[in-house]
Amino acid sequence: MTQLHRLAASGALAVASVALLAGAADSWRWPLPDWVPPPAVPADNPMTADKIELGRHLFYDTRLSHDGRMACATCHEQARAFTDGKAVATGVTGQVGTRSAMGLANVAYLPVLTWQNPQLTSLEVQALIPLFGEHPVEMGLAGREQALFELLKADPTYRRLFARAFPDAARRGEAALFSLSTLTRALASFQRSLLSFDSPYDRYRYGGRADAVSASARRGEDLFFGEKLECYHCHGGLNFTDNLKHARTPFAETGFHNTGLYNVDGRGAYPAAAPGIVEFTGETPDAGRFRTPSLRNVAVTAPYMHDGSIATLPEVLRTHYARAGRSVSLGQGVNPLRSEFIAGFQITEAEIADVVAFLESLTDERFLRNPTHGDPWPPPHAVAR
Amino acid sequence: MNVRNPLALISACLLAACSAGPTPPAAALAPGLQAVSLRFAAQVNGQPFACGQRYTGIGSTRSTITPSDYRFYVSEVHLIDAAGRAVPVALAQDGAWQLDNLALLDFENGSGPCRNGTTATNTTVRGSVPQGTYTGVRFTLGVPFARNHGDPTTAPSPLNLTAMFWNWQGGYKFVKFDTATRGQTATTAAPDPQGGGNASGFSVHLGSTVCAAPSRTSAPSACQNPNRVTVQFDRFDASSQVVVADIGAVLAGSNVDVNAPNTSPGCMSFLNDADCPPVMGALGLAYGGVAAPGPQRLFSVR
Repeated sequence: MTQLHRLAASGALAVASVALLAGAADSWRWPLPDWVPPPAVPADNPMTADKIELGRHLFYDTRLSHDGRMACATCHEQARAFTDGKAVATGVTGQVGTRSAMGLANVAYLPVLTWQNPQLTSLEVQALIPLFGEHPVEMGLAGREQALFELLKADPTYRRLFARAFPDAARRGEAALFSLSTLTRALASFQRSLLSFDSPYDRYRYGGRADAVSASARRGEDLFFGEKLECYHCHGGLNFTDNLKHARTPFAETGFHNTGLYNVDGRGAYPAAAPGIVEFTGETPDAGRFRTPSLRNVAVTAPYMHDGSIATLPEVLRTHYARAGRSVSLGQGVNPLRSEFIAGFQITEAEIADVVAFLESLTDERFLRNPTHGDPWPPPHAVAR
Repeated sequence: MNVRNPLALISACLLAACSAGPTPPAAALAPGLQAVSLRFAAQVNGQPFACGQRYTGIGSTRSTITPSDYRFYVSEVHLIDAAGRAVPVALAQDGAWQLDNLALLDFENGSGPCRNGTTATNTTVRGSVPQGTYTGVRFTLGVPFARNHGDPTTAPSPLNLTAMFWNWQGGYKFVKFDTATRGQTATTAAPDPQGGGNASGFSVHLGSTVCAAPSRTSAPSACQNPNRVTVQFDRFDASSQVVVADIGAVLAGSNVDVNAPNTSPGCMSFLNDADCPPVMGALGLAYGGVAAPGPQRLFSVR
């Protein structure tokens, strides 16, 4: 055996052992309590630790925007359960959006994404909207994907992360490795890893810890799941939303509802900038219908509603749900298309405080600080806040 | 030929496809077929389109505009024979501009305010038809439904250009025309210091809307507003004539200096946008429950 051959043979051995190690590292296990079913994951994008790590770097990288100032994390801050504290977001050109950035906790369990698009069923495709959308312009990369791929190729960190996350694509060459397909699959994998099932309420309800929540929160729980407030009809189940899909559901459940927030024409319509899923279905009764958001970590995701038009949780109860829809408070009359569960109710300030205490018990402090969900970059790439 | 380097082959093909003007694929033609090269020319009020050029007399306010993008998809190209039969043109599958029965025509070259574009341009549709005498042409402006709702993250060229993605609605922009105008130098922000920008001023983005699905979360089965335009010229000789796409005719009835409040810039095909009726009407499309006022005025032959 020549020197060269021996070198090649040992190289092949090294490659084989690396592949074995990578295989072991990639046997992904969901870090979930026993009572939680695992999410359903698209067959063409199985979870791996390497994809999550690449996705995390991309998620926190401001270079994924036209002016280098905006990352996914700009509007999805971990400490706010991946929302931004704003009513609506502003894109890189200054264009203001019409809907509020949604939280990402347990987004892996959603069969349909965003507030208002019933046809958007994959996180991989959803990622294209903030990156490349033109109405509104968010991160402003339309037409700039080649420049983005060049940037990723030139960064040693990304060269390493992409090659580890997508070994098959790496074998097909750079054009396959640095592509929309790999970019969106990594971002989706990172988002699917954002799991939140460790709130005080989870410990109380599923962990058998009676003292994990306050007496006020327990009274609020009774109100929330009671027939006076009717909250649970839409905000029920694993994630306090009637939109659910996981590995053990035979079919996805979806829920879109008009809660009577507006009634601009007296016939149930919402403002044209965010009209509800009627934008897609074209059916008048779908005016004002939005996807039910999860209430996990809701106490840290103010302001509320699809357009961020209500500042606090007590206000959501007092001026919106208790009045059979905020349209009544606005003097627009009761919305004729609103959900049958939006009937209004009498509620005392003490009861409002109890419901809010219950909602606050859904905050998973460990999720908000979990370093595996945080910014992996040292400055200057860290998201400026 | 010694195929040592497949990459060299691929780039050679890409270069050939990228070169503007007619490139007859005669060498590859089977017996009984003839090559077709359908030439397109982009104009603004009769002047040749060029990135960053100023065009005057646009729309109802006779505004001055500076375009930053102009691309569109055509599909289902047919030549019409003397008997009036429409014969489909089999498009050359070049791996870049043409895929199945659709082609992207791209008149921007990435220069000046078109910097979000591509340096490569494409102004012809290339293919073949059975040998014969043809006197007319027919094509569709838009991406066929069967190709319009796939996964854009893995789609082949020319369906993989993010600038042409229509992600929110699903599908592709059939037409992407962006321009700054005298009244709207940019959409909402100061002009882009890098000289470019996304949709700004008054845009014409055509695409399908209200795409209904069998269930709310399945892929669309049809669109209430497909917004595809069928174009036919009964007298057309591909060897000597050119199809002209003059966006000035589409903007003729619009006030491009203002944008209806709380709507997308210009007309992006969305419902309830007061900027859309004159644009959609000029494209020969119904809009907002109002029938098309007449045939399309974007295309003519010369």
